Amino acid sequence: MTLLLVGVNHRTAPVDVRERLSVAGGPQMEETLAGLRGLAGIDGAAMLSTCNRVEAIVSATSEDVLEPVVDWLCARASANRDELEKHLYVLRHADVIKHLYRVASGLDSMIVGEPQIGGQVREAFLFSRERGGLDSLLSQLFDQTMRVAKKVRTDTGIGEHAVSVPFAAVELAKKIFGELQGLEVLLLGAGEMGELTAEHLSKFGLKQIFVANRSYDRAVELAQRFSGEAIQFSGIEPYLATCDIVIASTAAPHYVVERAHIERARTTRRMRNLFLIDLSVPRNIDPTIADVDGAFLYDIDDLQHVADANRELRLQKAQEAEEIVAREVDGFRKRLIAQDAVPTIVELQQRLETIRAAELDKCLRKLGPVSAEQRAAIEMFSSQMVNKILHYPILQLKESADEPERESLRRTIRKIFGLR
Amino acid sequence: MSPNLSLYLALALYACGTLIALASLFARELRLQQAGLMLMISGWVLHTFWIGSICVRTHHPPLTNLPETAAFISWTVFLVELVLFIRYRVHAAAFFVYPLVLILLTVSAVVSEPFVSGDPALRSRIFTAHILLTTVGVAALFISLAFNLMAYLQDRSLREKTRGRLWEWIPSLSVCKMVSYRALAIGFSIYTAGLLAGVLWSYRVNAGPLDFRTKQIGAVVAWVLFATLLQSYISGVYRARRSILISAGAFIATVVAMLGIHRV
Repeated sequence: MTLLLVGVNHRTAPVDVRERLSVAGGPQMEETLAGLRGLAGIDGAAMLSTCNRVEAIVSATSEDVLEPVVDWLCARASANRDELEKHLYVLRHADVIKHLYRVASGLDSMIVGEPQIGGQVREAFLFSRERGGLDSLLSQLFDQTMRVAKKVRTDTGIGEHAVSVPFAAVELAKKIFGELQGLEVLLLGAGEMGELTAEHLSKFGLKQIFVANRSYDRAVELAQRFSGEAIQFSGIEPYLATCDIVIASTAAPHYVVERAHIERARTTRRMRNLFLIDLSVPRNIDPTIADVDGAFLYDIDDLQHVADANRELRLQKAQEAEEIVAREVDGFRKRLIAQDAVPTIVELQQRLETIRAAELDKCLRKLGPVSAEQRAAIEMFSSQMVNKILHYPILQLKESADEPERESLRRTIRKIFGLR
Repeated sequence: MSPNLSLYLALALYACGTLIALASLFARELRLQQAGLMLMISGWVLHTFWIGSICVRTHHPPLTNLPETAAFISWTVFLVELVLFIRYRVHAAAFFVYPLVLILLTVSAVVSEPFVSGDPALRSRIFTAHILLTTVGVAALFISLAFNLMAYLQDRSLREKTRGRLWEWIPSLSVCKMVSYRALAIGFSIYTAGLLAGVLWSYRVNAGPLDFRTKQIGAVVAWVLFATLLQSYISGVYRARRSILISAGAFIATVVAMLGIHRV
């Protein structure tokens, strides 16, 4: 059995090539998968199509199917072979396993460790499995890929740290408050980054988002988007005493939130923490507020540093992840080799058992009457001898590493022992 | 199994668990910490057996002298830590609580004092209540101090915008403050009740409320400092740095009070 993967990704092909090959879900995917499976010699197939990659994964009896698969992809992209081939990559057997493990773990993604790709790989294989498109080999590979992806994420925590400014703000908010559920947020201004941050925060079950903007109409519009409440820009001070997170993203050339505001708010806030996110340039929140107890102020540079540090961290964790992937590839490959050798091993054992039984029968007939103990001893002797003879051939069949050597060994053993 | 064998085995397991948990701080390996926790739990089971055996032999709670009290506080501190771990998954607490548990039990093992039974003074219910309440109170206060320390470290990391080694292990600042506050409020109430019971017992036995020996002075100083800390939480004038200094003082005073416990 052979595993093959042919595809393009964000590193090998520009978007205009990727979009010609991409497959939308549902009926189009069904049709594409049927086309791929219809190629002669293919036992199982799956198509992975995301915005960054399009890959055909097939299992077949031989590598001869490679050419038809490439031709089929060219036809799909309405491109001539020379044009498409320079963007394609072709992977075989162990490289397919490694590639899928890396892809599903987010190691091959544009943003290392991004979590969405794991779900996309799962969906691609499940789609094929539900339509009977996966043979035993691809089925095993799918299960194993999902297991490895989960292990990588759990053991390394590669996807845990935010690598964008809005997500870094959410991560910090969680570090301060734990649960974000039930918190109140004050959004000052309608800057894009502020909106994006508020949007990410709003996914965590906030109690309320108050929006203040110089233009009240724009504040109402934004508040509706977050199911929040618009307030007058001039009346924000009381909200500083009640809100837990303040996001400033206005175009004002001066401080909108001053230290005196926060000092006054502290008297009613008591021990409650206040997280201030200043995404404006020039800054809208007085930087000396950072010295006030219970107030944590982060400006755009601070958040960018957090995101950069997290990116570095992800790259470090990616190294650990690569080690896990390498170990898992080796383990799965050995399992497949052992599985592949099973029919030959079974035949070999049956063949020698037949010989043993026949020779034992002859021997016992020649010996004449023997006691039960003597018969048992002779049987044990013959069984042990056969087992010892079989030990090394079986071991070699199970452990032989590369495919050509394994095939040659299998043929030799079959020939020597007279197997069909 | 002989009682002392269970003590030494518990101590060995605590030592291994603490070392492994501390190693996980440098290796940043969660599985190491889980292994440390398992060893600590095994040690705690033996610790429980040892405390139970003292009760059986002396027919009173194991709270009459320094080794017994240290062992009981250590046992209670770990129990509370375990409950908090199950509730909040606070991995970082291990770095403060495990060494404390280990040190307290080591004191029990090193300070050799005979187990006494049958002292009529110990049969008093007020005395038993005094010892039990102060011990449980101190255990809760130690937990509060551990979480206060974590809140301080978290506050400093967030303020300085740097990540210390404990960044990933410490829960959110709000959780640290909340657990610290609750443990302080509960622990302080129990501790106060324990001290009052002690004063009452002392009054009955010595015909005077206090005799101002080391343990009494330490206990009163600790009480004042814990009260100050609690007041700062309640009034909302909590300052991370100030609270950690008061906590350090309260911890030292409590340890002094404990070291002052010899035979009653």
